[in-house]
Amino acid sequence: MTEDQRDCLQEIINVAMGQAGESLARLIEMFVKLGVPSIHLASTKDIMPKLKNMFGEQHDSVTAVRQMFNHNSGKLDIQGEAILVFSQSSLAEIEALMVNHQSQALNNRMEFLLNIANILTGVSIKGIADQLDSNFNCSPPSLIGMNISTEQLQSQDPINWHEALIIEVTYRLEHQNFTCSLLFLMAGDSIAKLLSALDDFLEQL
Amino acid sequence: MSIPILICDDSLVSRKMVQKSLPDGWDVDISLAKNGVEGLAKIRQGLGEVVFLDLTMPEMDGFQLLEIIKKEQIKSLVIVISADIQPEARSRVLKLGAMDFIKKPVDAKTLAASLKNFGLL
Repeated sequence: MTEDQRDCLQEIINVAMGQAGESLARLIEMFVKLGVPSIHLASTKDIMPKLKNMFGEQHDSVTAVRQMFNHNSGKLDIQGEAILVFSQSSLAEIEALMVNHQSQALNNRMEFLLNIANILTGVSIKGIADQLDSNFNCSPPSLIGMNISTEQLQSQDPINWHEALIIEVTYRLEHQNFTCSLLFLMAGDSIAKLLSALDDFLEQL
Repeated sequence: MSIPILICDDSLVSRKMVQKSLPDGWDVDISLAKNGVEGLAKIRQGLGEVVFLDLTMPEMDGFQLLEIIKKEQIKSLVIVISADIQPEARSRVLKLGAMDFIKKPVDAKTLAASLKNFGLL
């Protein structure tokens, strides 16, 4: 990935994160401060060391939710899996929010977590696709596991972790912090198509 | 005489998108900054009579820069161009003295309408 491609993707993700952040703010009825996303492209052998570095190696390090996405229409013909990963401390922050949340419709832990994942992942995927003149089908979010080890993220993978685009996004709230990481796992040809789409985007500037 | 304008955004792509969206024939001298710290330095050098300001940036973000501009009563006219589309974000920057809030990705038509609205075109 060239610096221009990284900058371009970062800006596209920034716009998508803004849309997701607005949806999250409506759900939790709080102002959400957006961080600058950071992006890493990791090959198969680098993915797990990178994730362990981010989330630790304890048996109960993370909680994760996945959504599959694939091309529906438009220029960007890619498919992959998006995994939203929360650290233990961030999950505790979300649970604290849930205690304060008044909605009767969101009265259990799982439903609240899947709603947040659907917003942060689903809205982000749509936002990225829209900017690249494409449309993706997204599966509903499903829980990989609560309080699982980082290793267990890999054992769940249905597409063999060819290459991963690891996007770290931070949403800060007024009195709480939580960080989550959004992993986009794609086969090598999908990554190549994404990079090519970024080049086309850059050429139009 | 050309108007000194400053585009303050950490993304090269975004700075280019703003530049591309500026009205044809608008007589301006363009300066660029990658964060609020650089932006403030250029504003103090007189390079930002009109400032197009991103909110989410490293070092010093757009909210912090607006606070300084307000506190020091700097005369720059600030148009925020941001991906942060929460109504609360818009309301906060307007309270901090920004003239307008435009959501990303910016387009030429919206930018021109904003500039016309404030008598800059």
